[in-house]
Order: sequence, then C-alpha cells, then structure tokens
Amino acid sequence: MKKLLATTAGLLMSTAVVGTATAQAVNDNQLSDPRVRQAIAYALDMETIVDTIFEGNAILANGLQPHGPNKPDGLNYYKYDPDKARALLAEAGWDESRELDVVYYYADQITADFMAAMQAYLADVGVQMNYRLLEGDVGAQLTVMPDDPVEGPSGLSWDIAYGARAALAPHEYFNRFAYGQMPMIPNVPEMNDLVAKANGTADVAVQREAFHEMERIVNENVYILPLYYQQLFIFQSDRIDRNGNPYGNEQYNYNWGITEWTVEPNEDGERVAYTNTGPQQFFELPWRNLGIWITSKAVFDTVLLADGALTPIGGELADSYEMSDDGLTLTVTMRDDALWHDGDPVTAEDVAWSIQAAAINPTTQPTVSASFRAIKGAEAYVAGEADEISGISVDDNVLTLEFETVAPNILLSLTQFHPLPRKYFDGVDPIQLQQSDFWQKPVGSGPFMIDEVRMNDFMTLVPFEDYHGGVAKIEQIIVTPSGDGDGNLVRNAAAGRADFGYTKNTADVPALEEMENITVVPIDFPYTRMFWINQFVRK
Amino acid sequence: MLTYIIRRLLTLIPMALVISFLVYGGLELTPGDAVSHMIPPEMAGTLPPERLDALRDSLGLNDPFIVRYGIWLSGLLQGNFGYSLTAGVPIRQIVLDRLPATLEMAAAALVFSTLFGLILGTISALTRGTTADHTLTVVGMIGVSIPEFFFGLVAILVFALNLGWLPVGGRMLPGYETFFDRLPHLVMPALVLSIMMTAGVMRYTRSSMLDALSKEFVKTARSKGMPEWRVNLLHGLRVALTPVIVLISFRLPILIGGSVIIEEVFQWPGIGSEFIAAVRSQDYPLVMMIALLSVIAVLLASLIVDILTALIDPRVRLGE
Amino acid sequence: MTATLPGPGTRTTARPRTRHDRQFDRIRAREEAGTFKAPVQGRFFSKFRSNKLAMIGLVVFSVIVLASICAPLLTTHDPQQINLRAMLQPPSADHWFGTDRTGRDVFARVLYGGQVSILVGLGSALMATIIGVLIGIYTAYVGGWVDALAMRISEILMAFPQIILVLMLVAILGQSLSNLVLIFTLTGWGGIYRMARARMLSLREEDYVQALRAFGLAPALIAYKHILPNALGPIMVNTTLSTAAFILQEAGLSFLGLGVPLSTPTWGNILNVAQDLRVLENNWWLWLPVGIVISLFVLSVNLIGDGLRDATDPSQQG
Repeated sequence: MKKLLATTAGLLMSTAVVGTATAQAVNDNQLSDPRVRQAIAYALDMETIVDTIFEGNAILANGLQPHGPNKPDGLNYYKYDPDKARALLAEAGWDESRELDVVYYYADQITADFMAAMQAYLADVGVQMNYRLLEGDVGAQLTVMPDDPVEGPSGLSWDIAYGARAALAPHEYFNRFAYGQMPMIPNVPEMNDLVAKANGTADVAVQREAFHEMERIVNENVYILPLYYQQLFIFQSDRIDRNGNPYGNEQYNYNWGITEWTVEPNEDGERVAYTNTGPQQFFELPWRNLGIWITSKAVFDTVLLADGALTPIGGELADSYEMSDDGLTLTVTMRDDALWHDGDPVTAEDVAWSIQAAAINPTTQPTVSASFRAIKGAEAYVAGEADEISGISVDDNVLTLEFETVAPNILLSLTQFHPLPRKYFDGVDPIQLQQSDFWQKPVGSGPFMIDEVRMNDFMTLVPFEDYHGGVAKIEQIIVTPSGDGDGNLVRNAAAGRADFGYTKNTADVPALEEMENITVVPIDFPYTRMFWINQFVRK
Repeated sequence: MLTYIIRRLLTLIPMALVISFLVYGGLELTPGDAVSHMIPPEMAGTLPPERLDALRDSLGLNDPFIVRYGIWLSGLLQGNFGYSLTAGVPIRQIVLDRLPATLEMAAAALVFSTLFGLILGTISALTRGTTADHTLTVVGMIGVSIPEFFFGLVAILVFALNLGWLPVGGRMLPGYETFFDRLPHLVMPALVLSIMMTAGVMRYTRSSMLDALSKEFVKTARSKGMPEWRVNLLHGLRVALTPVIVLISFRLPILIGGSVIIEEVFQWPGIGSEFIAAVRSQDYPLVMMIALLSVIAVLLASLIVDILTALIDPRVRLGE
Repeated sequence: MTATLPGPGTRTTARPRTRHDRQFDRIRAREEAGTFKAPVQGRFFSKFRSNKLAMIGLVVFSVIVLASICAPLLTTHDPQQINLRAMLQPPSADHWFGTDRTGRDVFARVLYGGQVSILVGLGSALMATIIGVLIGIYTAYVGGWVDALAMRISEILMAFPQIILVLMLVAILGQSLSNLVLIFTLTGWGGIYRMARARMLSLREEDYVQALRAFGLAPALIAYKHILPNALGPIMVNTTLSTAAFILQEAGLSFLGLGVPLSTPTWGNILNVAQDLRVLENNWWLWLPVGIVISLFVLSVNLIGDGLRDATDPSQQG
C-alpha cells in the first residue's frame, strides 16, 4: 500500500506539471478543460461513498477496465482532495453560476443516495449540480451523436451521465474512441490510432500495449471518470447444492454445470428450484444480452464452452475446433448427439445460418457481431450485395469460417453464441428475428426445456431427457419474471421464491446476506460504473 | 332509446379518432423509439448508430409520422390491433393475456368495496349523529387520505413478511388450477385497492339512505306499523341502492386505471403494469391500444350510466 | 366593452319609469361603483365553525403549512447536507426524525419537502380551478362553437383514466417540478370547468341574471361578478379535494419514479425509500413520520373540503 501511495503521489506531481503546461478547454464548454474534470474527480470522496452508501460492496476504480494485466500500473485514483479540486477550478476559471445537469438511469435507492452525495461533495468545492432520472428511451438519450465529431455541438441534453460499461472483451471499453463514434467527447486523435491498433491484431501482447496507453491517456485527462468496479453477487439458497461446480461471470455463459446441481425436495417431495429473469412479454433473442436470462444459460447451448473468467475451454455444441496458424481459418466440428428440444439434431447448417443472421441483426452483442463481420464476405452480405456470407461453409458436420481480417475475439464470441433452429425461421427477415412468434415459447438445445409459459406470471423449465451432457437432476425450475435488475428479488427471496441467481444491485446484497438460508458469493467481473462527461458545447 | 344509444355510440368515433391522433402525436415527441429501447444502456454506447437504422427501416419507424399513423389506423379499421414493436406479438394477444388479471383484481376490489361500503354506509345512516356515525365518517376519511402504495407496502410488511399469512405478490404459480388456488394472492391487492372506493360508496350509501328514509312512502310504511328494521332494509336500502349502483358502474374504468400503482406494488401482471412498461419502452402501438381501450371503456361506462339513470328515473329524458 | 353600453336611462325613456326602474337603477349604480356585494355569507362561516371535524382539519392544515413555511426557524439542519459517517441514525434530540441513508436530517427534509409538496398540490389545484372557472363561465355564457369546443376538449381529457394520461404526459414532457404542476393542471381543470359551466348555465336562466342582462350589463361583468360568487361554494370544495388528490398523486408518481426529480425533497420522494424492503423493516423513521404527515395533511384537507361542502350546500344533510 505504501508503495502504491508513493507511485500515486509521483504521478500526481507529474500530472500537475502537465496540467499547468498544456491543459485548457478545447471549446466554450468548461467541461472540455481537463482541470475541471480532474477537479470533479478530486472533489468526490469515493472511498467514503463506497464504504457507506455502497456498504463496501464495490471496488474503487482507477481505470476503465477492471484490475488485471490489461491495465498499466500507477494510474491516478484522484483520491479525495477538496483543496486541490478548488485550486484546479480556480486555475481553470470555473463559472460558479453554472449548474451542471447530471442524469442517471438506475431507479434504485442507492443511486439516488449516491447522486445526493455527489451533489453535496461538488457543492463543497463550488460546483452546482442538479440530478434527474432519465425516463423513456435511455439509450437514445445517452448516445445522440454531435453534429461534428470535433467541433460539436453536442446532440446530448445533459452535462454528466452516471452510467456503466459492461464488457465481454476489453476492446469494448475503448472502441467508441474511434473517429466519429463518441457522443460526448471531442475526437482525441491519438486514441483513434490506438483503437485501430488494439483491434487489428490477435496478438494479446500488442493489444495490451494499446490498452495500457489508452488507459493512461483517459486517466490523465479524465475524458471519462471511472468511479468503481461493480461486483456481481451470486446468491443461492441452502436448498441448492452445486456439487463443486464453479461460480463465474453470470452475465455470460460459463461451465456452471447446472445438470449436476441438486435441490432439496420441498414438502411435497418435489425437487423444484426457483430463480428469476423469466420473460415479461416475450423471450429475448439470446444474442443481445448473451447470458443474463435463465433461458440463455439453461435452455440454449453455446457453440463453445468457457470457464468462469470466460476463457474458452472446449466445445459445447461443438465437439472440437481448430484455428489455423495465421488466425484466418476456424474449423468447428459439431457433435453428432446434440438435439433440439423437438428431437431434431443440431446441425452445422443451423450454426452457419445462425452466424449469418447474427452478423446482420442489429441487436447482436457488439463483440460477437464484430467477430462475425470479420468473416470473408460478411460486409457484402450486410450491405445487401450478397445473398449469403461467402466465408461460411459447411461440410456434413464440419463448419468452416474463413476470415477477411483477424477476429481477436472469435473464440470468446463462440463461447457466448447460441445457435437457433433454422427451420423455425423460414421466410423471416433476419433483421426482424426478434419479431417472430418463435419467441413466445422457444425451442432450444440446452439441458432444460421450456415447459409452461405464463407470460409475466411465471415459466417452468424441465430437464431435457435427451441432453447430450446428461439429464439434469433438478426436476423443475420455476422462473419468476424480471428484467436484468430484479426489483422484487429481496421480496421473492424472503418468501422462498429465489433459490439461485445473481444481482448487480448492491442494495440487495445486505438484505440477502441477512437471510439465514441465503448465501451470497461476490464475483469480480468487467463492469465499470463511470461518469460520462459531455465535453461538447451544448446547443 | 335505441336511436339514442346508436347516436351516442356514433359520436364516440370522432372522439376516439382525435384521441388516437393526440396520443400518437404525443408519443412522437418523447425521445427515442422502440429500437433504441431494445438496446440496453450499457450496450448503447458500444453499438455503431448506423446499425440501428437498419432495424428502424425494417420496422417502418423511419417513415413520416402521418404515414405511420395512417398505416396504424387503417390496420385498426380492418380489425387489426397491430403488433407490439418490442415483442412482435399481436397486441390483441397481450391485451387478452393481461386483461383477466386486471379485471379479476378490479372485480374483487369492487365486490369488497361495495360490500363494506354498503354495510358501513347503512350503519352510518341508521346511527346518524351518534359517535358510531362520526367514527365511521372519520375512518372513511382516513382511508382515502393514505397513499395507496404506502398502504400496500405496509400491508406486505405486516401480512406477508412479519406474519407470513399471505404471499408477497404475483398472481399465480404452477399448479394453480382454480380460482381458489389464486385467492391468497388476490386478497391483499384487492383489499388495498378497495380502500379508496369503500369510503366513496359508504358516503354515497349514507346520504342516499338518509334521503330515502325521509321519503313519504317510508313514513307511510312506518306509520302502518312495519317493524323498523324492515322499513330500513326493504324500503330505505332498496331505494338508496340505485344511485349507489350508478356510482359503482361509473367508477369501474377509473378502477382499472387506478390499479396501475397497486399492480406495481404487488407485481400483479395486469394491463396497468403492462402500460407502464409500454410507455417506458416507447412501444407506440401497445401504448396506443391500451390508452384507446381504456378511453373507450370510460366512454362506454358513462353511456351505461346515462342509460341506467334514465331507466331508473323516468323524469330524465334521453336524446336531448 | 363598456363604451358600447347604452348610457344610464337610455332604455327606460321609451316608457314611464316605475318603482322597479328606480330600484334597478340603484342596484346598477352600486354595481358600477363597485360597492355591490353579495350578502356576506354569515351562515356559511357559522356553519363551518360549528363543524368540529372541519375545524380540526383547519388547525392541522395550518400547523403543517406554517411549519413548512417556517422550516428555517424550526430546524437548523440543512435538508441537503449529507454526513455519510452518520447515516441511518434513529431519532434523537439532535435529529428528531433520525437521519437517512446519506446522513441527512429527516425532520428538516420533511419540513422543506412539505413546501414543495404543498406547492405542487395547492398550486396545481388553484391553477386548475382558475383555468377551469374562467373557461367554464365564459364559454357557458358565450355559448356557440366556443362552448362546444371547450366541452369537446374537456371531454377528451376526462375520457382518459387520469393516471394513464398523467403517465403519458410525464413521458412526453419529462420530469420536473414545473412540468408536474403543468400536467396536474392540464389533467385537473376539466372537472371544475364542467361544474362552473353547469352552474353558469343554470344561473344564466335565473331571474335576477335575466334582469341584469335586460339592463344591458356586460356579459363578462355579470358572469364574474354575479354568477361566480354564487358558484364559489362548490368550486371551493372541488379545489380542496383536488389539492388532496394531487398530493396523493405526487406521492404515487414518486413511487413509480416518475414524480418530481429526487434532487428536490418532496414528501413523495422521502416516502419513496419505503420501497426498499430493508428500510421498510429496519428503519421505520425514514418512512413512518413522513407517511403520517402526508396522510394527516391530506386528511385535514379532506376534512376542510367536507366542512365546506356541508356549509355551502343547504340540501346536504349533516
């Protein structure tokens, strides 16, 4: 710790020197002045906030990515220092009459408390702010692009947004720094090249160099202010026994071994388990949110299998796979015993069709989409110039993908990719895949099949008797409806209607921990809460 | 009478048209659309915006406002309620799925509030001026003065969590075949919802009962030596019932709208919570249809009230 | 308008003046001098005063309103001042209602929150009343297409279940204090408008109004000076009841997360923490006092409204 403090102090001094030498506003918006952004960073006592409001269930952030080898040492934490904040503001000539418009989109109490705290901390250094919850279409309000990527003016209606970035691959933290992709920051030319560098290679060492450099630039200039790393909390009632299977990043798909789990019989002798994330209106296409719904994890199998840290470890629907040395040809051999829940075999054709559809469907998760669009002929297909993607070929049970450029995350993508049974989508435009009847009661390939669906009431899952990985031991899973954040989780858990699942809502954690029959396992995962600072001139 | 009803029904059509246009136009003013809502905020920042345009095009969201409204309207005239943008399911199906839950709760609340309201109102009228009467009046007032969601939350705290008598929320679980299986789920939301209405029915019953009891025929019945309880029940309550029935039928659509918050508190999968979700996700066709249906329900109910009033009281002439 | 009025006596010169003419002239003179007033409703006040519940309501109402207005005198705590190391403290001599999840003084927040909530409730109700009465009386008096148009608009607004309309408007206009007042006004004027219009229509036919008309008094003058005071009773009742309804609606919208932005303390926003089950179970001081204050205030307004109704409506049986 001492060493860390020393390096931090060293860096502080160096940034201060840089600050006075070059830092200034790039336009009429004072938030484009790095000193103002640094001041905001210094003004917030995140350590105390994490300790009290978040009750310790968060990790202080110093970079966009979570702690790990992709982040350089010595990043500045901007430890609480109100005097320094005041000095920087004075130096930048901060207009004290300006009231910052801060927006957020989490409707939970902790966020509201955090906003109140932020307001008080900023007021203490002379920065006025007000906060409001974004209503309606949040995504649209956060991502309107400026008229010009350098000059603005901004298309956004706020000054600071409290948001988060969840990433499957580290690239996702930075890719928006490519030219013309950033809604709130005037283009930073040196970042453009680094984004290209990180995406242009499968060599992890080269990627890492780019990540380190980008983290340093963002940290020094506070283009984005990372606040804390969220943990993911897996909860489990004492009725469930995972029988040694691992815990991992539950937002995605990993080898959690649900077929081996057991549950204590209830009073009627039935081995029934409850969980959440059931459908409210329809089942979501599993290519968008990859792993947050129980259906994604239990009803659909993925092509490859990952461990809890999302490292590929083998095949799931695939039997084996092989990547050529130049990284441009991937051969996947499918298992011959995998079946859809209607009894038909899962074929390489199904997978090929699914990859093609996912490449063009706009809601496909960005990392997966980017991987598939690197396949030869994918761009032509997406542009409507070709009827199919030429780089995908099928020979019996072997699927071959030929790439135009290296796709650094293709294996990772396949560990998260759920093929769909092609025959149900005859005549459906792949862009409108979600708007199909199939999603009222999907047919999957995983260890559990959907039995009864009462939209927004409940859904039941039962073991698929012909599952290639063995029949699951839990006899029935009853799924209550909820979104990604389940506002009713604590209530359901108290009533014995939540036996397993996860939450990202730190407010739920102490309440779950207080329950005698519930165990909570915190998991580090790539999910960073941050402030996006609108540095364009507003209209 | 029949021509009157037909004429009233015909006047509903331009009104429904205007309302549908206003709602459609209003939603147009809200930021975003169904497509950008399909993308979670965490991901929105990582998706190149031009990719979403493809989906907008395919869903017809890039057409001019009037064109979209025209398409929607002509579909409606052909009996097509349209499809939910986010779910891709026929709206008719969503409405049919959700409506029973809302009606079930509203009906139960109606039964509870009518029952309690009539009993308490009658007691109050018969004990007019006494402590019992005053107490009932004050209790009724307190009932309508407590925010309903607060009442609901405290009820959950006490009856579901502390005492464990009733489930915390939801409507049914697997294996719930009959209405009686679901009854425990229904009790709390319906009771909380009925509190607001009970006070109204009680007040109405009380005043119309007092009114009825002062009528000549009641005095006659009494002078004929009819026992007091028979006078009260047979003549007083019966006459008092008619305005109360009108009140209740008038409240029905308001009840359906009013259950929105209660549905949220008790995770009740009804049309109200569906409406909130649709407003939040900018699912135009769905918002439109629910709003339109609720408006039609209100208008029809007021028509029924008019007809009922006319049937009960011959002095009211229809068709004026 | 006044310039086009016939001068005094122009209409009566054609026939012999009678005792009634002189009487009307006197009334008219007083009218134009502005000294004519409807007889002070002494019966109204004595009737209201004798209604114990209404008086209790008035006292409670006044206490809460005064306490909110005089918040700076009653507490030294700043409602926005956080103290993270002193969060969730139960009530004490220093913090009468304890502290919330960021260490803010709940008592101060309830007082200051009252200012906003009462402003929203009372403000919206008054605005709705003024707009409803102005439009109602005027259009009813003028009649014709203006009247028909206003009636259609109010019918359209009132055809919506109110919460559905409010939710849509919040989504369209966005959340803010002024938008909320605007939305409540927009959705709330219809009822008062209709009442004022109906009152006006029936009063228009009454003899004394006919007489004033025959005398050539300006319609607007008759409408606002003679008809308005007579319709005031039911309008006041309606306004008080709207105030109560709006305060409850503000709380309900806060529950849905669609009310006044959380940065402004309102009773609804303070009560909102009760959604958190842990707060509900463990920190009663965060929701119980403010829940009681809202309920008491709404109750007091309802009691006053009830008292007003009894006092203004002679047919209402006590």
